[in-house]
Amino acid sequence: MPRLRLRYFALFREQAGRREETLATTAATPALLYEELATRYGFRLGRAQLQVAVNGAFADWSTPLVDGDEIVFIPPVAGG
Amino acid sequence: MSTFEFRDAPLDPAALSRTLADPGAGGFASFEGWVRDHHEGRRVTGLDYEAFEELARAEGERIVAAAVERHGVLAARCVHRVGRLAIGELAVWVGAASAHRAEAFAACREIIDEIKHRLPIWKKEHYVEGDSGWVNCERCAEAAHDHRHGHDHAPAGAAAFDYARQMALPEVGSAGQQRLAEAAVVVIGAGGLGCAVLTALAGAGIGTLQVVDDDTVEASNLHRQPLYTVADIGRPKAEAATERLAAYNPRIVLHAHPVRFTAANAAALISAGDLVVDCSDNFAAKFLVNDVAVLTGRPAVLASIHQYEGQLQVVRPDTGGSCLRCLWPEAMRDGLVGNCVEAGVLGPVPAVLGNLQAIEVLKILLDLPGQLRDELLLVDLLGLEQRRLRVPRAAECAGRCTRIGPPVVETSGAELELTLPLATAAAQGYRIIDIREPEECYSDPLGLAGHDAIPMGRLLDGVATLDPGERYLLVCTRGARSLIAARQLRAGGRNNVWSLRGGLLRAQLPGAQPGRS
Repeated sequence: MPRLRLRYFALFREQAGRREETLATTAATPALLYEELATRYGFRLGRAQLQVAVNGAFADWSTPLVDGDEIVFIPPVAGG
Repeated sequence: MSTFEFRDAPLDPAALSRTLADPGAGGFASFEGWVRDHHEGRRVTGLDYEAFEELARAEGERIVAAAVERHGVLAARCVHRVGRLAIGELAVWVGAASAHRAEAFAACREIIDEIKHRLPIWKKEHYVEGDSGWVNCERCAEAAHDHRHGHDHAPAGAAAFDYARQMALPEVGSAGQQRLAEAAVVVIGAGGLGCAVLTALAGAGIGTLQVVDDDTVEASNLHRQPLYTVADIGRPKAEAATERLAAYNPRIVLHAHPVRFTAANAAALISAGDLVVDCSDNFAAKFLVNDVAVLTGRPAVLASIHQYEGQLQVVRPDTGGSCLRCLWPEAMRDGLVGNCVEAGVLGPVPAVLGNLQAIEVLKILLDLPGQLRDELLLVDLLGLEQRRLRVPRAAECAGRCTRIGPPVVETSGAELELTLPLATAAAQGYRIIDIREPEECYSDPLGLAGHDAIPMGRLLDGVATLDPGERYLLVCTRGARSLIAARQLRAGGRNNVWSLRGGLLRAQLPGAQPGRS
């Protein structure tokens, strides 16, 4: 199974109880991966309220994920 | 010096301001975001800022660079705090230095607005009662789970505008929404068509809207121009429209240009966007939009209305295809066919056509299928009929759209832009023309003896005649206006005109070849 590196920020960091982890998963896209994590950690934010970054750049929810990718789910922001 | 960075220690605004010092700067504007003691009726005791720093830095630098480019400021910078902050502490600092104050204010405003909405930075509020919450996150989660309510996305203000229904379209999604947020659209005319176009594009989340109109609101406008109220009568339309749209969607950037759209400013105004929408009410403006769009390679979405009917045409010089002059080789004189004042108009007619224009804009920006191309759409709202007429590209198009592909100026083999010090150019026999406006020349003189100062508008109007036996080098601040002017003059058959690449700013950069003696 591909292994993905996940990093968590803000609300997700607190709900997942960790800053990062490496996860072996069959999830082929960020959309499927988010479903898996939402079930595991009880993330309640809907996908429409999130953005996802793959390897440090904003990405589409249907981007194919490959072994070694770094994924960050980005909750609504509040800079400034 | 990085243009966007994070720090985990207190910021010193005075020291930050000094890093933007520049002898060419006549104005400096800064914005400071402070930690306040209340939010949504709750007493706040402090904040934690957290950021996905790698991505935020890269995006932040892009935001600052875009603002510098768009507003033509000399330098801008943003520093954002992370970690625990107390009430009254400085959370974010933005500064911009420029030759004139207006650009500095505008750049500063754009940077803070963009940063607030786009960057992965989160804040957690700590309340007097001892609990805490991530701003914009906790309530979303509740709304997402509570299907009796819609997504009351964010508490208030900017983040409350939610594109969820639009992003739910498979063709849009977050990537499409991001493309719209990065787009800048210029709308010429804020009348009946313009009100519909602007409202639709602001709602769709186009990142930047440039509103050009020199009219004031009249009582007879209101039946078809619902951006304005009775209280706006007598106010400049560009100002009233941007004010209303900013309240409608605080997530977008709006610029009002309460000026007449003329040959002198058309290139500069249209170049402020990726795409131009013609919502004017006269032929002179429509042909000018068409011609400048073709010259600058930008898509233009044109519409006209007449009583109960309308026409829509999309000009795509960026991909080839026909233009307005393929249809009407000679610009029509105004007065030939009546406008709204003379012929009358039913209020919803411009609204229908304006919304069709907005849809074509979104189709282009989102790369959706079914785009109107090489066609004229005729809409008859009495007969409820519409027809699409083919508009082939004319072999001898007066708008010169046939030269699309390799532009005429490039095929001639002559280089349009020159990179060399001004003094060298003068020594090589180029006649230097400073095409900046008189106040710019006054506040930042060229410092070169024996040059001409002819503002771009006058040069293009042909008031100043160029000697065919001379070679001319056009100079402006950044090399953008001079390039457009040189292109237009070349298109008019002047092959002895060049533009100084990068303009005076490039010449002033440390390490660059000195542009001034």
